Amino acid sequence: MTKNKANEKIVANSTAEYFAKNLQQVGFSSPIKAVLTTVKEAMDNALDACEEHGILPNIRVDIKKLGLGSLKNTDRISIKVLDNGPGIEEKYVPMVFGQYLASSKFGQGRPSRGQQGIGISAATTWALQTSAIGAKVTTKRENERKALRCVVVTDLKKNEGILKDKEKINWENPHGTEVEFIIDGKIQMNGEGGLLTYLRGTILLNPHMTLTYHLTEMEPVTVERVIDEVPEIPKATPPHPHTMKLGEFLSYARLFSSHKNAEWLCKGFSRVSPNIAATLFKNSGLPKTLLDKKVNTLTSDQLKKLFQTIQDSEFQAPSTKSVMSLGEKALSLSVMRLGKVDYFSVVTRKPAICDFKPVQVEVAIARLFEKKSDGEDSSVQILRFANRVPLQFDKASCAIVKSISSVNWKSYSIKQTKGNLPSGPYIIAVSVVSPFLKFKNASKETIDATDELVTEIRKALMKAGQSLSRHIKKEAKTQELENKIKHIEKFGPVLVNTLCRILGASEAKKKKAEEGIEKILGRDNLKTRQQLDEVEERLNVHLASRKDQFDSFIKEDEELQARQEALLRAEEEILGTRYNDDETSSKKEFSRKKKSSKKNKSRL
Amino acid sequence: MVKYGIKDQKSIEKIAMGLCDTILTDLTQGKRPRLQATKSSLDNAIYSPTLGYLTPGPKKTITELNVASVKKMSRAIFVLDILLKNIKTGAVNTKRELYYICKGLLKQNPELKPLDFEDQPESDGIIDFLCEIIECYREELNCYANDRGGQTYSKCLIVTETLPNGKKAKIDLSKLGTSPFTPKNRPQNLALTASKKIEFCLVVESEGTANTLVSNGMTERYDCIVVGAQGVPSNSVRAWVKRIQEQVDVPIYFFGDLDAYTLQNIFRTLKAGSAASIIRNADFSAPEVRFLGVLPEDVKKYDLFSYDVKSNDPSEMRSLKKAQDALENDPFFKSQRNRPLAKILEWLIENKKRCEQQAFFSVDANDPLALEKILIKKIREGSYI
Repeated sequence: MTKNKANEKIVANSTAEYFAKNLQQVGFSSPIKAVLTTVKEAMDNALDACEEHGILPNIRVDIKKLGLGSLKNTDRISIKVLDNGPGIEEKYVPMVFGQYLASSKFGQGRPSRGQQGIGISAATTWALQTSAIGAKVTTKRENERKALRCVVVTDLKKNEGILKDKEKINWENPHGTEVEFIIDGKIQMNGEGGLLTYLRGTILLNPHMTLTYHLTEMEPVTVERVIDEVPEIPKATPPHPHTMKLGEFLSYARLFSSHKNAEWLCKGFSRVSPNIAATLFKNSGLPKTLLDKKVNTLTSDQLKKLFQTIQDSEFQAPSTKSVMSLGEKALSLSVMRLGKVDYFSVVTRKPAICDFKPVQVEVAIARLFEKKSDGEDSSVQILRFANRVPLQFDKASCAIVKSISSVNWKSYSIKQTKGNLPSGPYIIAVSVVSPFLKFKNASKETIDATDELVTEIRKALMKAGQSLSRHIKKEAKTQELENKIKHIEKFGPVLVNTLCRILGASEAKKKKAEEGIEKILGRDNLKTRQQLDEVEERLNVHLASRKDQFDSFIKEDEELQARQEALLRAEEEILGTRYNDDETSSKKEFSRKKKSSKKNKSRL
Repeated sequence: MVKYGIKDQKSIEKIAMGLCDTILTDLTQGKRPRLQATKSSLDNAIYSPTLGYLTPGPKKTITELNVASVKKMSRAIFVLDILLKNIKTGAVNTKRELYYICKGLLKQNPELKPLDFEDQPESDGIIDFLCEIIECYREELNCYANDRGGQTYSKCLIVTETLPNGKKAKIDLSKLGTSPFTPKNRPQNLALTASKKIEFCLVVESEGTANTLVSNGMTERYDCIVVGAQGVPSNSVRAWVKRIQEQVDVPIYFFGDLDAYTLQNIFRTLKAGSAASIIRNADFSAPEVRFLGVLPEDVKKYDLFSYDVKSNDPSEMRSLKKAQDALENDPFFKSQRNRPLAKILEWLIENKKRCEQQAFFSVDANDPLALEKILIKKIREGSYI
């Protein structure tokens, strides 16, 4: 190292500066991606805000071309997203839109759309870099008379948002936020980076959302919500005992060093009750008396023994509440909004542990009417979702695509060349929800394809495929019957006519032969018709059972909630009133569940 | 019940009309018509040492009218109609011509459009199907093949052909110069006589080698018949050699390569017929033909150039595999009567060698008559199987 170089100062750059120089890492790597990522980040924020405040989201997206962009081969584009969310307090506006890593959800162990607080600030930076205009924000809270209108820019050196051109205005909306970005980009409607593809996915996974979109010259489109219920926001739950490696476990223990061991195990982990904690100590060969001692009294060896016992023990699967799902009914209703759906199947898997993390997989497969004729040979359309956010790029290495390719779709009567994606006029939508999803990159476009996750997704796909194949088999049988009838109509008369011509047979004999051939070949059709009836009956039984299942979901939900309520009460009794904060939140949770259960009843 | 053997065209017409009548009657009675044909495959072949050729066993294939077969049956009756007209008028056609005739008729009549053929193999399949049901040769339905091979040279053979108009044409092969006589279409219509006692008939696998022997004066020096088979013998070559066997009292020898393909596909077909033409072998096989060579002992005796069967050549390996299969399943090679021929197959499998008929030219490279001399020697010494 030269002397000069040795004297150079090592400077710590701000987070904002880093992201401003590396916007490609967060989804702004091309003009097409820039438009899509901006829309996506704004919509994610809007949906998260509405859901957290129990508001049924009404979202409007307006995208307009304003002229040529400053960058080569780009357009100057205005992207406006309006929601009916709770609005943002003025002091938080610069943080939300202008500051990196300012988030209310970071590390909470909840599968919310946004996590780190990077995306929307990156959109502001992109707007500043390409059009020199920050994010134009209008926001109003319920109790406010006037709305705040301002422009947010980012001070990259300090990683701070700055409000400019602030004014109070009259706004027709009772509450909500509107954000407009003017950026350089390129609009693509369909395909991998298509806006319509993104919107279609968002519509599917948000059955409670009403969305109006007005994209450039297209007529505005409104897609109404199909359920009147805000999804339950997953409670931030502690990690499942099987989700930790030894190092993590030891560090975790240090965080709870001043708590008693029993408290640490019961409150620090999900699915551990006082009884289970006692059993774990017993199986680890640790004296029972240690349960009431503080965590920092445990030696490193004792912690290792405890860790090993945890690994060898079986626990209840992670809570469904930590990995929210739409449920099969909501998904079924939402699928119908994808277009003219011929038939579909939906599957919601029970939560499972994949790579030490709770994961829940949902699958919807829909066959579309409009693409029936021309879509037979093209690959199916795939909609991928991670924590309800559509994923649109780098699909090849994604766990979802790998899972779809690995299923033998031929056995469900869907065309497929070995090891490739199936083909036909289908949409296959796969949603993976987990508080700790592993992505391959910072722009969160590809879910890491671990063996366990691929297997879990495969199981859901196979179940959905089985269900769908009943429809396809019925369709194939109907087609077979139609073909047979056509075949007989075509060839029967030709055969009789030629025979009669060769033999010079009379008209009477010809008529009799025509009746005979109709009778003979009609018998063949009868067999196919019977097969069709059988297939149809099987399908009807399946559909009826699905209906019963939907009806029983609500009942099961109520029973589950009652059981959980009882369990929590028991825990509270044992652990006393040491966790007042949690108690309050639990109560809130119960009241929300009760409310939702009532809504379910009225819906039925 | 249809009898095997050559039928006159009246009986073909009668069988065809009877077939149509049965189908129509079945239809008027609401019964499914069933068309029965002899199963033409090796598992339904029986070799009788007395007869000397492969004959059909009891297995039948049945085509019953149903939704799946109605198209095939309709097409068959449609093509049969054309063939019956040809028989009545005496018109003949090749399969290709019949394909276009069908296309023309189907174009004229929109009602028949569903029967249309996409390509020739479709109409060929229907013609073969008809031959199987009626149990006749396509030539008997006036559907002729442009058969190759059978170029015949002799200074002592006279062929008399009965023409369709009843006139007789006499061909004296000694008057043809260096041009061969080639039997076509239906050698069964040819009558053979010998102008003098003929010593032997030599069927050579390679048409080129047959021509060399004749050009070098073999037919001048010996009272013989030389026939070029040109590979796997066509129907006309098979029927022609059968004709020679029947009408000229002469021993017949086959001279070809020493390999599994020649023995199994060429010589066996010539001598005992094939499984595919199982119902026609009586007229298309010459059981008295002997295998003159190349014999395994010739390779040693004359120190002939031979080749190892290439393990990387799929066709050569397949041929050996088929030879093994023939030893296990072919009734011709399984027969005790043909044990010496089976032994050649065993030798080929064991030694994995092949030797071409032209290898004899290496024995005395300076003598253009070397092959002729060796063949005559072999015939006279009885060095054949």
